[in-house]
Amino acid sequence: MAYIIHRLFSMAITLFLISIITFTVTNILPGDVAMMIMGTQSNPEALANLRENLGLNDPLVYQYSKWIIGMLTGDWGNSLLFKMPIGPILLQKMTASGLIVLLSMIIALALAVPLGVWSAVYKNKWQDTVSSSASIVGVSLPDFFWGIMLILLFARALGWLPSSGFVDPGEDFLLALKHAFLPSLALGLGLMAHLTRMTRATMTGILSQEFIRVARAKGLAERVVVWQYGLANAVGPVMTVAGLQMGYLFGSIIVMESLFNYTGMGWLTYQALLNRDIPLIQATVFVIAAVVMLINLIVDLLYPFFDPRIKLK
Amino acid sequence: MAATGDILSMNNLETKKPVVSINDLQVKFKSDGETVIAVNKISFNVHAGETVCLVGESGSGKSVTSLSLMRLVEFGGGEITNGSLVLERNNKQVKNLVEADASTMRSIRGNEVGMIFQEPMTSLNPVFTIERQLTDGLRLHTNLSGGETREKALQLLKEVRIPDPEKRLRQYPHELSGGMRQRVVIAMAMACRPRLLIADEPTTALDVTIQAEILALINRLKHETGMAVLFITHDMAVVAQMADRVVVMYRGDMIEEAPVEKIFSEPKEDYTKALLAAVPQLGEMAGTSEPRPLDIPGHETLQKNQTKNLTARQETVLEVQNLITRFPVYGGVFRRKVANVHAVENVSFSIKKGETMALVGESGCGKSTCGRSILRLVEPVSGQILLNNQNILALNSHELRKTRRDMQMIFQDPFASLNPYMTLRDQIAEPLKNFGLVSKSEIEDIICDMLRKVELPLGFLKRFPHELSGGQRQRVAIARAIVVNPSLVVADEAVSALDVSVQAQVLNLMMALQDQLGLSYLFISHDMAVVERVSHKVGVMYLGRLVEHGSRAQIFENPQHEYTKSLMAAVPIADPKQRNISGDISFKPIPSPVFPVDQVIESPIYKEVETGHWVLTNK
Repeated sequence: MAYIIHRLFSMAITLFLISIITFTVTNILPGDVAMMIMGTQSNPEALANLRENLGLNDPLVYQYSKWIIGMLTGDWGNSLLFKMPIGPILLQKMTASGLIVLLSMIIALALAVPLGVWSAVYKNKWQDTVSSSASIVGVSLPDFFWGIMLILLFARALGWLPSSGFVDPGEDFLLALKHAFLPSLALGLGLMAHLTRMTRATMTGILSQEFIRVARAKGLAERVVVWQYGLANAVGPVMTVAGLQMGYLFGSIIVMESLFNYTGMGWLTYQALLNRDIPLIQATVFVIAAVVMLINLIVDLLYPFFDPRIKLK
Repeated sequence: MAATGDILSMNNLETKKPVVSINDLQVKFKSDGETVIAVNKISFNVHAGETVCLVGESGSGKSVTSLSLMRLVEFGGGEITNGSLVLERNNKQVKNLVEADASTMRSIRGNEVGMIFQEPMTSLNPVFTIERQLTDGLRLHTNLSGGETREKALQLLKEVRIPDPEKRLRQYPHELSGGMRQRVVIAMAMACRPRLLIADEPTTALDVTIQAEILALINRLKHETGMAVLFITHDMAVVAQMADRVVVMYRGDMIEEAPVEKIFSEPKEDYTKALLAAVPQLGEMAGTSEPRPLDIPGHETLQKNQTKNLTARQETVLEVQNLITRFPVYGGVFRRKVANVHAVENVSFSIKKGETMALVGESGCGKSTCGRSILRLVEPVSGQILLNNQNILALNSHELRKTRRDMQMIFQDPFASLNPYMTLRDQIAEPLKNFGLVSKSEIEDIICDMLRKVELPLGFLKRFPHELSGGQRQRVAIARAIVVNPSLVVADEAVSALDVSVQAQVLNLMMALQDQLGLSYLFISHDMAVVERVSHKVGVMYLGRLVEHGSRAQIFENPQHEYTKSLMAAVPIADPKQRNISGDISFKPIPSPVFPVDQVIESPIYKEVETGHWVLTNK
């Protein structure tokens, strides 16, 4: 319990720092909110009026505290671009992207763990060479390459899946999955390469440990030795790396969602940046940071279940 | 009791079939296209109720032989290329294991042949409970129900004398001490009542009191079940305590095979003789006052000039007074200090020039921390350290760095203490450059002189550490330490990682250098027999305290403190006629050195039982 409080406390500090950085950076950018609302050709007097009304002439510290209090109390302000409250927009886009992030992580783990274990078991044999070369290719190629390839294959050539668009999972879950699948697969393939290498390294270490030999000396089958005695020890390290990759995933969805015209967080961030929708940029960065940190906190809290030696203090 | 049992089984040897019979075994390893013969022409039998010790140094192939018996050698890249391994199975049929298929082998492993490994710390799976690890073999090899396997697991834990067996079943390996883990590993190997137990260096990683307990346990189980035991070790003292018959191995070959008394009383082969000579024996120094080099056949025995030493040992080099080192334990939301590990607790002693002071004790007793505190590699809490009358604890970081030249350290693991990217020349030159002691032109001469001193060929100068053997590396570590001409060398388990014959050479080298250069050693070791051989003075540490200290003769010939006595009693005697390890041995477990922050610690009160022989009288 003390551990959770400690972690939440340090998470609050990190978020506070992130909020200051985003707020400052977005304020240094040329062009301000008033200009965005009224356009560049507007009357200087009206512009000054609007600035005064919006509180843009107040000291930066005052503006920041107003904003952060709003963020904390649920008043996130309005998006300039969409002309509506930011909260509901973010909630909807977060669900859309959450689906992709989750799906790509599942795909990545489902492929990476068996491949990595296989590689470790057949270390330095041809099976390992095949799997290792595949992950090198995966690591080296950018995600959007896989995106394009997948569109060509599944959407154009085979016509099995839609190549673009977003469907709300609340309306038609199956259709939503179909739309989310290709971007998830493209992201998952890049991620898989990292995780395969990680799993291989971890499992190689574990399989050379004495308790593996002891397990064999008990007469246990190789299947049990590798997939139970071995893999149980790899869960913790692999989950930790998977958690850390979450931040990378939220970065990658910007390109991937644009490529698949999938209107989620990535697409939203891109639009917000393109249109200098400052309140939206600030809120988006803040929310993504919070979500990534929360996921990593959860992974850490789960760690004692993967490894009884770890005690959270 | 043990002796009569052995005689009975010896008489039966001729009539009974062996449990396992190894004939002309050859195992090859392939690496990088090269084939290495790991063992060759190995033939011996192990009978029921008999312990055969397979003895040899690292690389002798003893582990390869035992792993071949389990056909586990293949998992490490080995291949049995010749010979047969004939096992008499539970149903009295004989089976050549070399020809057995994978499923037959699985029904034998853990069922008819059990195995114990060296490292209890890594032998158990850290993420499974003790119960799961004890019962999965039972579930595999027997038809017992879930409840019955649990019962059986409990019974096994009781058999290996583990306290609180019910609680242990639910625990994970990290919650158990090293000795208890090894008991669990033995219980696992014994689960299905194997006909043959293979023990591969089962006590090498354990403290001496726990080693005695484990050895006695294996002996008791052997007598109770009548199983055959194949015991692998490098330690001749353990051989003397355990073996009925001995097989000596050297570089993959079988050198000699004989009953244990014969190996010790009339060894035939030179290698066996050398192995026996290299082992220091507890008690063999009785009546001598000076350390004595070990006899290494083929090497000229260095005779110490005793009179020279006696006159030289006048001035005090190191004076340690009331040294206290504690490590904080943090916890809670604000990471406050919640407890202290009392690693070194009020320790005082002194070392004179040319003298060796040994600190002995079991793991966790604070002997290493004490050594490191003196060099201020860890910061002591309080106390006084005077090196050549200079107060070490009062130095600032700049002065400390300069003073470290005068106190050097040799570490346990020569594989880790040398920088792999530096040639030997650079390794030895580094301390000289670091302290800016000599000009460039002099360095080469000094390095060559050092290599001669530590008896390494000059051709080694351009070599890297990975091109050397363990003993050679430790010689380099010694050269690095003494090249700056220190007055004190702290040797922290400096020979513990070495094979006995190499250990003997390095010990002799250290003693010879002491003679030549007048070095003072703080010799930190867990090995009582080595300590007896090399030291002038001895301090016994227990829970951070010095419980007894005095001259070597006083401590070894007239131990007073209870803990010193139990340490001595636990050391296996390298003589098969004096078996001190049998029956049920159990020593008091060492309590935890972690105390709350506000704990009041009593100052130690020592009693001088004879001149210079001090014994702790309070707790």
